[in-house]
Amino acid sequence: MVTGKGGVGKSTVSAALAVLAARAGKRVLVCEVNARERIAPLLGAPPAGSSVREARPGLFTLNVTPHEAMREYGIMVLKFRTIYDAVFENRLVRHFLRVIPSLAELVTLGKILFEAKSEERGRPRWDVVIVDAPATGHAVQLLRVPSALLDTVPAGPLRGDAEWMQALLLDPVRTALAIVTLPEEMPVNEAIELDAQVRNELGIPRAALFVNAMPEVRFTHEEETRLESLVGAPPPLGPAATAARLQALRAEQAQRYLARARAALDLPTTVLPLLPVAEWGAEAVERIADAIAAAPPQGAP
Amino acid sequence: MTAVRETAASRRIVVCVGSGGVGKTTVAAAIALDRALSGGRVLVCTIDPARRLANALGLSSLGNVESRVPDHKFAEAGLRAKGELHAMMLDVKRTWDDLVARHAPDPARRERILKNRLYQQMSSALAGSQEYMAMEKLYELATDRDYDLIVLDTPPTAHALDFLDAPDRILDFLGNDAARVLLAPAIGAGKLGLRLAQIGGGYVAKTLARFTGQAALSDLGDFLQGFQGMYEGFKDRAGAVRALLSRPEVGFVLVTSPSPISIDEAMAFHERLHAESMPVAGLVANRVTPDLWPGAAPLPSPEDLAPPLDARGGNDPGLARRLAETLAEHQALASAERRALERLFESVSAPYAVVPRLESDVHDLRGLARLAERL
Repeated sequence: MVTGKGGVGKSTVSAALAVLAARAGKRVLVCEVNARERIAPLLGAPPAGSSVREARPGLFTLNVTPHEAMREYGIMVLKFRTIYDAVFENRLVRHFLRVIPSLAELVTLGKILFEAKSEERGRPRWDVVIVDAPATGHAVQLLRVPSALLDTVPAGPLRGDAEWMQALLLDPVRTALAIVTLPEEMPVNEAIELDAQVRNELGIPRAALFVNAMPEVRFTHEEETRLESLVGAPPPLGPAATAARLQALRAEQAQRYLARARAALDLPTTVLPLLPVAEWGAEAVERIADAIAAAPPQGAP
Repeated sequence: MTAVRETAASRRIVVCVGSGGVGKTTVAAAIALDRALSGGRVLVCTIDPARRLANALGLSSLGNVESRVPDHKFAEAGLRAKGELHAMMLDVKRTWDDLVARHAPDPARRERILKNRLYQQMSSALAGSQEYMAMEKLYELATDRDYDLIVLDTPPTAHALDFLDAPDRILDFLGNDAARVLLAPAIGAGKLGLRLAQIGGGYVAKTLARFTGQAALSDLGDFLQGFQGMYEGFKDRAGAVRALLSRPEVGFVLVTSPSPISIDEAMAFHERLHAESMPVAGLVANRVTPDLWPGAAPLPSPEDLAPPLDARGGNDPGLARRLAETLAEHQALASAERRALERLFESVSAPYAVVPRLESDVHDLRGLARLAERL
């Protein structure tokens, strides 16, 4: 499970993790959740839509939408497509199902976890399933559904599903959650809050922190002080010194927020480089995959 | 005064919208402060401000109530306000409870709803709840108080459009006709199965119960019954909020970062506002990389930078090369952002402001005042 604040690079990190697993010869599925599909395009493939598609050899993508997941789930529970269609494609019933709190989340998560435990000819269909989960708040809503149902729903089919889903989510052998953040104030705050929620409420095993878009430390402290006096110089030196000073300030702030995240989160951490504009998109995925391979998450626990 | 400040100052209500992480809260606070400085009673209603910004506004310990930013906070920042700045932080659960209290026909019904498990889940966790309550609070503040300007910060949604759509989804849930037809007549009599059984010859009832379990249906039935008779009040109110948002004294300010995703969101939101005849007061491109090398002259090489560096204290080790590299990277980013923003400014006909990425996060009144000057 890969999550974090909106805009921190969750999709890029998810795609990079998938590329790494595929490079290691594993069969990988990357799931997006009701998104404007980004993973397949990031891998240089056409959008997959709501069915499993191979983006690269051994690397598959899937965009899980509640409507499609509900249909598959319903057919699975009821065994017969004709019954599902007669009942669930009824406008009234569909409208009704849409508003049952958490049902959309349940079937979405159910679809993903079903893929995770599905088998083909006696062996697991996927070696790795990577979930590009929604941003913090929505991810917590999604991942909380099984335990919420176990708290509120008495015996019945919903409860039975919530039970196996929760067991899978909490199993440290099979499931791990990674938090992605930027070395900036709000993303780090949100990562810290999210981590507390994962520990205290969700109980999903935490595995790693990815600090994305880290600017490199390019100038020494002495040089930084010198740059300040050069900012006022005529072009070309003045503008170059200004750019350098902004870079240095940003790198310094980023170091501070990185230290804060490390101290507060106590998670194996990988720091990913800030990439130049030319490498945004598909290029970035390869670069980020290389960076993760070069420095896999390290530290406690 | 420049463009966005001017149009924002002429409204009674300003709503800041945009995708998560673009600086909506800061822009909202800056617009409010600006108007308070030039005279006027202003309220900024924030959703989830960074702690230091909350402190700057005196919001450290306050919930759903408005509080005036004290004079000494202005004095500390070297500012003098001709008007008043008030601030508050939206408390979603409390706003829901207030709304239920206002519409419940009697205390018993109120208690029944407040105690219902589904209500508790909905009022604190259901997607869209925050957005709905932000609108609800805005309406209350706009009708019951006499501020010259109310600035509303909006929840940090993944997609900016959620702000307009979420209230409808919640209302849809509360007033769900399908649920009524399926559940309502029977739950009053305590016989849930009865009515369900009448549809499709028992087919629907049996399969639905297999799908959700009978007990889950009963919980939901109980919840919806609690809201029965209150729904019309809720719906009227939501209609009034919509009407309020289309009035000319309201202005939406679209806040975006220069990232392509954020710009796409802003454009989609603008189209939507336009389609619903909701007024756009301005566009703020926030955290933009400043252009340090305007014009068409080629960027300097390390060789160009070495002589002036030598003249001012030396060029080692390889400082000229690193400076040239840094400026080139900076300019590549600046021009990529400029191209993306031009696309936005061309397609949205509203006053706009470009705010450069500041050297540090804005976290005091002085910083807000400086930001306001850029708007």
